[in-house]
Amino acid sequence: MSLPPGSDVAIPVVAVVVAFDVWCLVNLARASQVRYLPKWAWAVAICVWGPWGGVIYLALGKDRTPASAPGEASLAGGAGIAASGQLLARRVPVDPVVIEVDQLTKRFGPVTAVDALSFTVRPGQVTGFLGPNGAGKTTTMRVILGLDTPTSGRALVGGRRYQEIIRPLHVVGSLLDATAVHGGRTAWFHLLSIAQSNGIGRRRVVQVLEATGLAAVAGRRVGEFSLGMKQRLGIAAALLADPAVLIFDEPVNGLDAAGVHWIRQLFQSMAAEGRTVVVSSHLMSEVALTADHLIIIGRGRLLAASPTDRFISGARQDVLVRSPRADELAGLLTARGAAIRPEGDGGLAVTGLDAPAIGDLAAGHGIAVHELVPRHASLEQAYLDLTDDSTDYRAGTSAPERTTAS
Amino acid sequence: MTAPQIAAAGPAVPSRLVRAGDVLAFEWTKLRSVRSNYVTLIIAAMATIGSTALVAHAVGSGPTAPQGGLFTALTASFLGYAEYAVIPVSVLAVLQFTSEYTTGLISTTLCAVPRRWAVLAGKAAATGAAALLAGEALGFACFFLTQAMLSGRHRGLSLAQPGVPGAVLAGGFLLCACALTALGLGAIIRHTPGAIAATLVAIYGLAALCLTLPAPWKDGFGKFTMPFAASQVLATHPQPGLLSPALSMLVIIGWPAGALLAATLVITRRDV
Repeated sequence: MSLPPGSDVAIPVVAVVVAFDVWCLVNLARASQVRYLPKWAWAVAICVWGPWGGVIYLALGKDRTPASAPGEASLAGGAGIAASGQLLARRVPVDPVVIEVDQLTKRFGPVTAVDALSFTVRPGQVTGFLGPNGAGKTTTMRVILGLDTPTSGRALVGGRRYQEIIRPLHVVGSLLDATAVHGGRTAWFHLLSIAQSNGIGRRRVVQVLEATGLAAVAGRRVGEFSLGMKQRLGIAAALLADPAVLIFDEPVNGLDAAGVHWIRQLFQSMAAEGRTVVVSSHLMSEVALTADHLIIIGRGRLLAASPTDRFISGARQDVLVRSPRADELAGLLTARGAAIRPEGDGGLAVTGLDAPAIGDLAAGHGIAVHELVPRHASLEQAYLDLTDDSTDYRAGTSAPERTTAS
Repeated sequence: MTAPQIAAAGPAVPSRLVRAGDVLAFEWTKLRSVRSNYVTLIIAAMATIGSTALVAHAVGSGPTAPQGGLFTALTASFLGYAEYAVIPVSVLAVLQFTSEYTTGLISTTLCAVPRRWAVLAGKAAATGAAALLAGEALGFACFFLTQAMLSGRHRGLSLAQPGVPGAVLAGGFLLCACALTALGLGAIIRHTPGAIAATLVAIYGLAALCLTLPAPWKDGFGKFTMPFAASQVLATHPQPGLLSPALSMLVIIGWPAGALLAATLVITRRDV
């Protein structure tokens, strides 16, 4: 047992307390032979009982081993990552499970974390669940997982409330917070206990440990793990029962580049097997490469729910035109109904007409065009526009400021 | 692959008995896989045996007890036990819930077993069984140690005497009762220091408070506290002003029952 910081002071104090305590007990026993003395002896002994709680608390305090993360090297290797897909490959087709969130509202006192939110998550694709910090992503996930009770509305997994599912890990695997582990338990026992809770055998525990590259450190206490290793452990726990639904809250946090690559591949292969995969993030760049479908919320309300490619095509796009006779061209374009926004050094940002139409128009009037570039807003930009709008709108209506507890 | 498959028909629904076994295995594995739990039990056992020996020596070397004195040979057996065994084991029981709440592991636990009362029942069964086992082992060890030291001065008791085996068994059960009270308070309060403080108040503090009250109220309220009830159960000559040993035993059972009931009501109604 490694003692927590402050033990160097605690140990002599404990020794003195124990010695005094024993002295009291012995005196109490002696005094008991005389009938009228025990009252004060009792009082003294009871006064000494108090500090014992603190003493035991110190002795049991969490080990705070620095996260030097021995064994990290074994995780970075590409071999384990390549093998993982095969190890976890499913032999039986997945029974598709849909997540339905219906008019979900969750209030914490005066704060409305989720406000009449409705969406559906379909199987067979990776769904990115996006929103700025404090948008209500985590709250929504906790309601889906039955951890929080909604104020109104409901969240159903495969048509049932989560609490109604028998052995739920066989249906839903989730990872909300990778650091939420008991530091004193080894990875093996952490996973074994979870497996036992849902009637899963030991062989499967070994399997997920190998698949997540943690087999070599299975006997090590989780308190010694780095954040990236804890993420892998959490993912291993989510995959234990081979569930049809996977829910991850910010899974990329703390992973290195190889880990991020691994996890993206994992999500996509899981979705390709017909699973329902939900990945939350506050950064578009994290999910843009992986997600097939996006659900974007802000301030607890749904902002957008569409396939990723449609989201980007529906986003702001324009054509940049440069011409020596820009003013003349601008007049022609506005006459055709296009909107013009001048940019620096003679450039025009044109919306409402596509590049071929602009080119033809210019050619028809003999105007030289030096540059003609169709521009799409990046996914990131589209996301920022969307969430900025919502923030501005909400702030303008003096909505109560909410804590960023997402 | 050992993991059951989700076939088109959906997962097979295991019987209630199997599911109860799942939860019990879950909590038992969590209890036995933390090394500090063993350390706590070993420290508790060593401190208990050590202090019991000192008390037995003090009683044995003192003047001969008048009949009906506060500490008989039986009570003296449990003087060290009532402190050095009860406090560490109670703290261990408190941590069963508070360590999960402070680390956030409770979310994982409740995702695996969404029926919260089942989680509480599983923890109570695992922790209670461990505490009962440790309590009975320590209780009998303390009894035999004390009586062996006292028998040299012809003041010892033997298990053959009427009422003694029951009293020693009840003494062992005390540890289980205190542990379950602590477990319930840990589930309600969620924070380790607060829950430990509440446990110490429930087990010892209320009795200490009653000691300061004037005469009629001292026993009137005191008889419903754990230490007073325990002293009645463990005495060869129960005091007349307090509850009978049988009713005192009910008081001892009532504390953990009340704490667990309150914990069930609280955790099934509140967000994690």
